[in-house]
Amino acid sequence: MQDEGGPTVHDARLAPARHRLHVNGRGVSVEAAPGTRLLYVLRNDLALNGPKYGCGLGQCGSCTVLVDGRALRSCAIPLRAAVGRRITTLEGLAEGGRLHPVQEAFIAENAAQCGYCLNGMIMTTVALLAANPDPSEAEIREGLQANLCRCGTHVEILRAVRAAAAGMRGTAHASAAARGSATVRGSAA
Amino acid sequence: MTDSPAARRRHWQEAGDLLLVYRETMGRPPRLGDAPGAALAAGPQRALYLAVDAEGRVTAFNGHVDLGTGIRTALAQIVAEELDVPLARVAMELGSTATAPDQGGTIASETIQIAAVPLRQAAATARRHLIEAASRRLNRGTGELAVAAGIVRVAGEPDRAVAYGDLVRGERTELTLDPEAPVKPVADYTLVGQPVPRVDIPAKAVGAFTYVHDVRVPGMVHGRVVRPPVPGVETALGTLLLGVDEASVAHVPGLVAVVTRGDFVGVVAEREENAAEAARALRVTWRPGTTLPDLNRPEAALRDNPATARTLLDRGDVERALGHAEARLDRTYVWPYQMHGSIGPSCAVAEFRDGDLVVWSGTQNPHVLRSDLATLLDLPEDRIAIERHEAAGCYGRNCADDVAADAALLARAVGRPVRVQLTREQEHAWEPKGAAQVMDVRGGLDAEGGPAAYDFETRYPSNGAPTLALILTGKAAAAPATYPMGDRTAVPPYAFGNARVTVHDMPPIARASWMRGVSALPNTFAHESYIDELATAAGIDPIEYRLRYLPDPRAADLVRAVAERAAWVPHTRPGTHGGSGDVLYGRGFAYAVYVHGPFPGKAAAWAAWVADVAVNRVTGEVAVTRVVVGQDSGLMINPDGVRHQIHGNVIQSTSRVLKEAVGFDATGVTSREWGSYPILAFPQVPEIDVLMVPRPHDPPLGAGESASVPSAAAITNALFDATGIRFRELPLTADAVRAALNPPRIAGPDDRPRRRRRGFLAGLFGAGAGALALATTLLPWRPTYPSIERPDPSAYSAATIAQGRLVAAAGACLVCHAGPDGRSFAGGRGLETPFGTVYASNITPDVGTGIGGWSYPAFARAMREGVSRDGHHLYPAHPYPSFAGIAERDLQALYAYLMAQSPVAASAPETVLRFPFNLRPLMADWNALFLRPVATADPARGPDWNRGAYLVEALGHCGACHSPRNALGAERRGAAHLAGGFADGWEAPALTALSRSPLPWTEDDLFAYLRTGRSTRHGSAAGPMADVVASLSPLPDADIRAMAVYLASLAGAAPAPRPVAAAATAPPAGSAALFRGACAACHEGGAGGDLVPLGLVTSIHSAHPDNLIQAVLNGVAAAAERFPAPDPAAPPAAMPAFRDTLTDRQVADVVAYTRARYAPDAPAWSELEAAVARVRGLRPHAGG
Repeated sequence: MQDEGGPTVHDARLAPARHRLHVNGRGVSVEAAPGTRLLYVLRNDLALNGPKYGCGLGQCGSCTVLVDGRALRSCAIPLRAAVGRRITTLEGLAEGGRLHPVQEAFIAENAAQCGYCLNGMIMTTVALLAANPDPSEAEIREGLQANLCRCGTHVEILRAVRAAAAGMRGTAHASAAARGSATVRGSAA
Repeated sequence: MTDSPAARRRHWQEAGDLLLVYRETMGRPPRLGDAPGAALAAGPQRALYLAVDAEGRVTAFNGHVDLGTGIRTALAQIVAEELDVPLARVAMELGSTATAPDQGGTIASETIQIAAVPLRQAAATARRHLIEAASRRLNRGTGELAVAAGIVRVAGEPDRAVAYGDLVRGERTELTLDPEAPVKPVADYTLVGQPVPRVDIPAKAVGAFTYVHDVRVPGMVHGRVVRPPVPGVETALGTLLLGVDEASVAHVPGLVAVVTRGDFVGVVAEREENAAEAARALRVTWRPGTTLPDLNRPEAALRDNPATARTLLDRGDVERALGHAEARLDRTYVWPYQMHGSIGPSCAVAEFRDGDLVVWSGTQNPHVLRSDLATLLDLPEDRIAIERHEAAGCYGRNCADDVAADAALLARAVGRPVRVQLTREQEHAWEPKGAAQVMDVRGGLDAEGGPAAYDFETRYPSNGAPTLALILTGKAAAAPATYPMGDRTAVPPYAFGNARVTVHDMPPIARASWMRGVSALPNTFAHESYIDELATAAGIDPIEYRLRYLPDPRAADLVRAVAERAAWVPHTRPGTHGGSGDVLYGRGFAYAVYVHGPFPGKAAAWAAWVADVAVNRVTGEVAVTRVVVGQDSGLMINPDGVRHQIHGNVIQSTSRVLKEAVGFDATGVTSREWGSYPILAFPQVPEIDVLMVPRPHDPPLGAGESASVPSAAAITNALFDATGIRFRELPLTADAVRAALNPPRIAGPDDRPRRRRRGFLAGLFGAGAGALALATTLLPWRPTYPSIERPDPSAYSAATIAQGRLVAAAGACLVCHAGPDGRSFAGGRGLETPFGTVYASNITPDVGTGIGGWSYPAFARAMREGVSRDGHHLYPAHPYPSFAGIAERDLQALYAYLMAQSPVAASAPETVLRFPFNLRPLMADWNALFLRPVATADPARGPDWNRGAYLVEALGHCGACHSPRNALGAERRGAAHLAGGFADGWEAPALTALSRSPLPWTEDDLFAYLRTGRSTRHGSAAGPMADVVASLSPLPDADIRAMAVYLASLAGAAPAPRPVAAAATAPPAGSAALFRGACAACHEGGAGGDLVPLGLVTSIHSAHPDNLIQAVLNGVAAAAERFPAPDPAAPPAAMPAFRDTLTDRQVADVVAYTRARYAPDAPAWSELEAAVARVRGLRPHAGG
């Protein structure tokens, strides 16, 4: 007898259990089955609307979140695998009431049409620039190539990424310079 | 969102301190598919367009909605300009049926061109009223007053002023829109025509924007729908459902309901993931639908589709001119089915409250949707409110209305608010497609090289795609209507003296409706390719040739401006841009004006392209490297918005031309994810140079579609320039272009068909039955041990039971004997064997159904000799030949441990094997032939090796899966021992030197793999092996290390196979794109975390594709889900299951591609599609 209903899942995997997560700098507790996709938990249990359901197959990038600083697809991450990791969503990028420079750049460049892919574009860019603060044009395009945009906002998005990279490098230079001058003063004193 | 639509409606209807402008019309706007007179029959309408409150805030209402094009911003600009208020004081309310006017669907680039006109008049009406009121208040004539930032001032007397809010305060004033109210002269504009940042993006960039997907209503539950297995085909809907087995979802926690009505099937659960699980697991039986013609090459299907010819133009004498043509040029152009591909699958929330329905929807047509829901639910329209929220971009009609109706049906059935989210697969399959189109041109050159005649015919099978639930429930007929929409830009822009234009109006074949550039994009592909062909045939530069026959001066201006911007070099033959190496370069031109609406229609913006392409003549890959695009949009409300729309149109249409065609089989759409419907990604985005013609004094024209329309011809004309070959069928995939550039050779000796692999079972019974027949003299029955009372577990020491637990772990008993809860030893799992399905028995200490009545001697005999307590022979799926080597103390401990478990009363299904294996007595002969324990002890080796050998060979019985079996199902010994076998539908690869793993398995690799389930040099355990790893987790590291030591020593035990000469087989057409879209994000782009590189993964190098197919079909669980002690570096992502997403063919293609790319030295797997079908038919391994 073949089971024609598709993969059978042990009931144990559907049974809810308590999971402690670390999301946007805070510890939260969620009661759900361990196999529940992180995307559903973020949206439905934590009411975070940044990550979007796009394909559920890890293909389009709409659901991207940062997991320990890396841009991963929350539609493919089971709840249990998210335990013990630092999760950051679009809502958690701002610090001290200031938007992340990548968010600022996307707003300044009007880098959205419908904006459904915007979450993934911003989150992927944040991780990209953290790993490579001065990417070439080819590196930016390659870094975003598995994030799909259907409206054709690529030109504005690329501009936003370049602007964010330049801005963040500028800030980094400025703060490095500030640190440097403080050190000089300190040693002179 | 905070106020209900009824409350908001009441507010605008009743509140004081408001100035309101209403518009009065006769009837509602006509709709496509209307019965004659239906629009007027709706009677007089009075709708609110604008309100000013006592704070001076303006709320403007529009029936059109923002599809991501930025019209919310542009409409607010128009209102702010006309009223002279700051943009931030204007709020737009778009498309909510409770408050916004019915202005028809948001289609055909009409919003700015048409729907904004009454809005501007409403603002002008309000402004006139406010100025007059201010005149009275300030005692000055209206001519002495000026408005800035919502404050009316007396010119020259800055202190004499009054704000709009103060003029409004104190009463409620209702005005009727006066179309004659004076509007501001364009010369005075300060806001319209200026680039303005989009008002919605800041909220979208922080996750604070409420898309329809983000709507949450108190008490909301989650729904999913199950569609009939005729993806994207309407013709048989309403008659297909045979039955729904509700027991199949009884295991789903929090299930609220299974709802069926006609062919509509939906499930509702408290939590979304459980609704998704219920939709996946629900067993539904359907009648087969209709068989489709081949829509992958749609020309024949469209020619065969019944049609009505409609002549749009008949000028001169076409037949006579054709008869006298100097050179005839008859051409056919074919456009494929394409899809909108909204990035977010459609979603809706519906709630019934006191009999009134509210639906939160991303619809483009709120008022039409309300009518549909009224029909579907037998409700009056005024009991229904559509709350329109933005959704993912849509470029015509997607499933937004479908899902709204689904949600309404489910909400009514369960009496609670229901949110329904369509899956990616459903959106891809069921969205009304952009239809395929076939264009024929008969024509030629006259003696002077001019166009002799132009006889154009076009076929466009599409309509308005009725909301699906209406058809599923039988409220609307499945027989599709025909809409006359194939006529857009069907009349060419050129002054051909003899011209005839015929549209063959026809119903859809696959579900289809309007998509960006509706029929005009394909029609223009033909017009603008053909005029290029004429120019080449006449030996004249293509732009010069066009200008000779282009009567519209504004169009000619645009054509010249774009040619100049691109530094167009006139030429009369292809190849002017040369090439380097394998890459050829070319440049092409096309021009169009998008004519929309009922024929003869209205013109939107003019657009022209110069496209540069590079084509690799060996691989066939085409890149559009640069596009110079010019557009004349008249007055541009928000030039930034127009530029953004041009960019979007260029990129999306380039994607359509280069890559996009919906795949079909005989049942329907097979493109159900992004791999099988690839779209342009960042690396392929061309450089775009936009030229916007400044025409502030001409009326604004729709800019949402125009820049798409010249795309296809500009690109194919450029490809002709590069290669000298005309491409008249899209898309320009690398496979299609390569085939055109490299015509196939005549079949030679290399092309002979490959030899079929011998069937897995072929020949088995001949040899096997004969061997069995030889020996029938041995004892077929063995004595019965009497049943005993269940032994008292307290008779065993805790230490013995703990030892038994480790023995059970090492023996991985649970992998086969797990009960349905995955934990107890209650048995019942079926194991696929070549001889049939063997069901694992209950080995809990239940006396009736388990082994509670077994004495230790009975247990030991079963374990070591394969004879049950009652004397019947067990099948060697129970690995007693391995267990024969278990040490006595271990076996006793195992007995104690099992007897200490909780008894579970559960009878496993009866195992019934195929003949002759169904004759259990024959197993006695089998045992006589094959029951010989593996000799493991070797005093010459160290204690680790000997311990490992014992664990691997006896307790762990690795050979039961990893050794090949002979025709009688016995493990083969000698060199074949652990040389690779099959278990439960999975290949258990060779553990000897026969391993095909690209890197050797070292002791450390084996330790990591057995301990954590993952070796970074080989891949992760999946299928039954994942269960084994989980089972081994209680064993101490020393035991795992011992197993690794022993297994690593086997690497030298057998000679390495000679490498097989790789067959130079190209992967199947389209498979590279499929892999890129479906797999590359995680497997090449890191979006799933640190995956083991595919080049190292053992299954890809195997002789058998089974494990790779298993992974693609059924997914692979994340390490944290499967393994008690996962590698902390293992990625958190699971591999999704593609069982319900990809067809057998597609899985075969992606597997073939993966093999060719990542195991290039291995021969291609053969018969892959059959292998996929076989693996799909197996019961998937529990737990992935």
